[in-house]
Amino acid sequence: MPIQINTSVKGKEYAPYTVTVERGRIKDFARAIGDLNPFYLDDSVGAASEFGDVIAPPTFPITFKDDTADTGTMLKDLGVDIGRILHGEQEFELHRAITPGETLLCRPKITDIYEKSGKSGPMAFVVRETAVTDAKNELVATLRGVTVVRL
Amino acid sequence: MKYAKVYAEDVNVGDALPDLVKEPIQIQLTRYAGASGDFNPIHQDDEFAKAAGMGGVFGHGMLTMGFVAQSVTDWAGAGRVRKIGVRFQGLVRLKDVITCKGRVLSKSSKDGTHLVDVELWAENQKGEKVVTGKATVSLPSRES
Repeated sequence: MPIQINTSVKGKEYAPYTVTVERGRIKDFARAIGDLNPFYLDDSVGAASEFGDVIAPPTFPITFKDDTADTGTMLKDLGVDIGRILHGEQEFELHRAITPGETLLCRPKITDIYEKSGKSGPMAFVVRETAVTDAKNELVATLRGVTVVRL
Repeated sequence: MKYAKVYAEDVNVGDALPDLVKEPIQIQLTRYAGASGDFNPIHQDDEFAKAAGMGGVFGHGMLTMGFVAQSVTDWAGAGRVRKIGVRFQGLVRLKDVITCKGRVLSKSSKDGTHLVDVELWAENQKGEKVVTGKATVSLPSRES
């Protein structure tokens, strides 16, 4: 029997939370990917660059998490076990480079939930968007992720 | 040359991005879990992944996206990506050989901003696409 998910979560806006971009986290993230670009890892290259410091790799904003609004919280709201999910799609719009020391505000929202039948049976697609803004309230990045739930 | 500065004038529609090859092993998945904060046991614990019906551990989609993004920044430069989006098409298993590829789709210039759209994909050693996607990069011009 397929499981039921709580589709009333559609439209839910999670409480905004702040993250502070850490220099070491940027470097650990780049190294974990195996991306040794000096613009991410070498402080002197960063300082001499147009960005004035090392910058974060394009997918780094995926680390902007908070216990009150992370995937675990979303799964609890949906009533779904973590073993059932797959990452379907992910997009980042990046309006400017992200550098260490910045404090950014993240506002996640579940924008859509829909169900479809695929090769491996019935599935639900949960679309989550997170707007990331800076201290001047300017948009820095927008994340859009689709989580697939095997029902 | 890797990390060479690329200008909008150097890029032509149809150009191929240099291939980037990655061979993820368990320790990389563990390291990526720590760096990203995604501790889903399905990427670490073979028994958990089997019990979940996935046939064993597989890589984080976001790690493969990180590889694909690296193939773009190795070519266009760090800090040039304005947009990158992917669809995860297949699982990456331990010791798969993943090759990230790309091709220039279009170029445009407006108000001194030079944008290049690229098609991206990553395939395994069997030639199966595990990720497909697109990116937009903003490149400097030799004239400005």
